Amino acid sequence: MNKNDVRLVIFIFIMAISLILVTKIFDSNDPKTALIYYENELIKKIDLSIDKSNEYVIKGFNGDVIVKSKKNMIKVSDEISPLNICSKQGWISSSYEVIVCLPNKILIKIESNQNEFDAVVR
Amino acid sequence: MQRLKYLILFLFIIITCGCTNQIKVISKDYFYFDTYINIKIYSNNSKLVTEALDKTENIFKEYHQLTDRYNAYEGINNLYYINNELNIKEKIKIDKRLYQLLETMVDFYDDSQGLVNIAIGNVIDVWKDYKDNNKGVPTYIELKNSGSTNINKLILDKDYYLYKLDNISLDLGAIVKGYVVELIGNYYEEIGLNKYLINAGGNVKVGDHYGDNRYIIGIENPVDVSNIFEIVKGNNVSIVSSGSYERFFEYKGKKYHHIIDPYTLFPPDYMKSVSVIHRDSGYADLLSTMLFLIPVDEGINYVNHLEEVEAIWYGIDDQIFYSKGFSQYE
Amino acid sequence: MELRKTVRLSMLLALSIVLSLIESYIPIVGSIIPGVKLGLANAVIILVIYFYSFKDALFLSITRVLLLGIIRTGLFNIIFFFSLNGALFSIVTMYIAKRFTKLSIVGVSIIGSLSHSVGQIVIVIIFLNNLNIIFYLPYLLLFSIPTGIIVGLTAKEVLSLYQKLEIKSY
Repeated sequence: MNKNDVRLVIFIFIMAISLILVTKIFDSNDPKTALIYYENELIKKIDLSIDKSNEYVIKGFNGDVIVKSKKNMIKVSDEISPLNICSKQGWISSSYEVIVCLPNKILIKIESNQNEFDAVVR
Repeated sequence: MQRLKYLILFLFIIITCGCTNQIKVISKDYFYFDTYINIKIYSNNSKLVTEALDKTENIFKEYHQLTDRYNAYEGINNLYYINNELNIKEKIKIDKRLYQLLETMVDFYDDSQGLVNIAIGNVIDVWKDYKDNNKGVPTYIELKNSGSTNINKLILDKDYYLYKLDNISLDLGAIVKGYVVELIGNYYEEIGLNKYLINAGGNVKVGDHYGDNRYIIGIENPVDVSNIFEIVKGNNVSIVSSGSYERFFEYKGKKYHHIIDPYTLFPPDYMKSVSVIHRDSGYADLLSTMLFLIPVDEGINYVNHLEEVEAIWYGIDDQIFYSKGFSQYE
Repeated sequence: MELRKTVRLSMLLALSIVLSLIESYIPIVGSIIPGVKLGLANAVIILVIYFYSFKDALFLSITRVLLLGIIRTGLFNIIFFFSLNGALFSIVTMYIAKRFTKLSIVGVSIIGSLSHSVGQIVIVIIFLNNLNIIFYLPYLLLFSIPTGIIVGLTAKEVLSLYQKLEIKSY
C-alpha cells in the first residue's frame, strides 16, 4: 500500500460515515407502515405501530415468502431463493432501509405515516 | 492534502451538529379502560416529557380504580363499593375526583334528556350475563325487572358526600375514557407540553401540531375496520366515535352494541357509527353516546344548533351524513 | 505462445469460479451485512488486468458471470444482471484506476470492490424502480475497504509469484 491508497481509504471512510449520519437524520420516530411490493406493485400494507408480532405469507416469484412483523420492525423470515439474502438481512426498522428479494421480485420498505394519518378513531 | 483532510473533518462536524436540536417525539403505550392507549408528546425537553408520561400512568391508574365496577381496591371508595357495598341512605365520602366525574355525568343526564344515564348498571349486568354465557338476548321484562335505573336516586351531597335512595347500579362504560383523556390533555398543556397526540381507540385528542400543519386523523369504517371512510384535520381538537367499536356481540345475525338505550333497554339501531369533533374530549364522548341513541336526522339537527361541535354519521345503509360546519375539518 | 496464454487464462477462469463458489458457502461474511462478499474472484481479475490486458480481463470476467449463472443462479434473470453489472462496473473502474491514477494494486482492488457494490445497487434501482436502496450504499462503501485491502494484498502476492512462475517456464 502506498500513500495514495491510504488517502483513498480515508476518503471512502469519511464519505461513508458522513452518509450514514446523514441518513440517520432522516429517520424518524413516527409510526411506521411497511409496504410490500411484488414486481413494483404494492400488494400489502402492514401497520407497524401495533405492539404485536404478526406473520404474513406473501406470494413471491419462487413461492411463498414468510414475513414477520413486530412493533416498528419487519423482516423476511423464510423464502425460496439461491442465496437467501433477504432472509439473512434480518429486521429493518428505519424508513430508509429496504429488504430486496430479487429472486422473488419482492421489495419491502418502511414508510413513516407522517404524510398519512397521525391517528385513527375507531 | 492535509488541509483537505481538515476541511472534510470540519464539514463533517457541521453536518452532525446542526441536527441535534430537533423536536423529538416520545411515545408511550398504556392499557386502561379495556383499551390500548398510545400517547405521543413532541418536545425537545425529554426529561419533562418522560415525567409527564409517567404521571399519566398514575392518572389512568387512579381513574381506572375509582371507576372500576368489578373490583374493590383497598382504601378507595370506588364504583364497586358504591354499587355493591353501600347500603341505602348510608352516606359516604368519596374521592373528589370521582365526585366531580359523577357530577359531570349527572349534569349531562338532563342535557341529553335522560339518554346518557350512568344509573343503568342493573340493565348492563343482565346484558353482560347473556353475552358472557352465550344465552342469546334477554327479554324486555327481564331487563325491566333487573332493578332501578333512576338516576335521581343518587344524591351527590356537599363536601363530596354521596348516598343512594334505591338499589341503583352505576356504570360509566366507555364515557369515562373521554373525560380522563381530556384531563390528561389539559395537564400536558398546563406544564407547557402543547404538542401531543392521545390515541385511546375511540377517543383521539390532539394539541398543537408538531410541525406547522394540522393533525390528520382517519375515522375507521365501521363495516370494514381495516379501512377509513373519512379524514379529519385539525389541531387542539378531540374526535370521539361511538358505534364501530368492537364491543358488540352477535346473535342470530343481528349485532348487539354495548351502548344501551335507557328507554327501550335495548341497543339502538339508528346508525353504524357516529363521530363527534369538539375541543373537549369528555363532552365529545358524552355527546357521541347520546347521538348514537337518537335517529340521524334528529342528531344532525341537534348538532347544527350547537356551537363548535361537528359530527359525522355512518348510516345504517352505509350512507354518510355530515353536520353543517364539518367541512372546516376537511 | 498463444496456446499457453489460452490455457493459463482458462485455468484462471476456472479458479475464479471455484473461488466464487467456495465463497458463497462461507456464511460468516454475508451474515454481517447481506450482499457483502469478500470477492476473492476479484483477485484473479486483478491479476489478469496486471499481467495480461484489460481486454482479457473483461472477457474473463463476463465469461465468469455467464458460467456462474449457468451453475448457480440461472441465466438472464435479475440476479444475473445484478452480478454482471457489478462485475462490469468493477473491471472498468479498476482499469481506469490502474491506468490514470497513482494507486497501487491494493488501491485498485479497493476501487474494484467499491464499484462492484455501486454497480449492483444501480441494477437494483433500475429493476425495482426504487431509490431507497441507495441508503444502503454507505455501509457497502465501508465494507469495501477491508475486503478491497484483503483482496488487493492477495492479488499482490499472487501476482509476484505468478510473474516468477511465468518467467521460469519460458
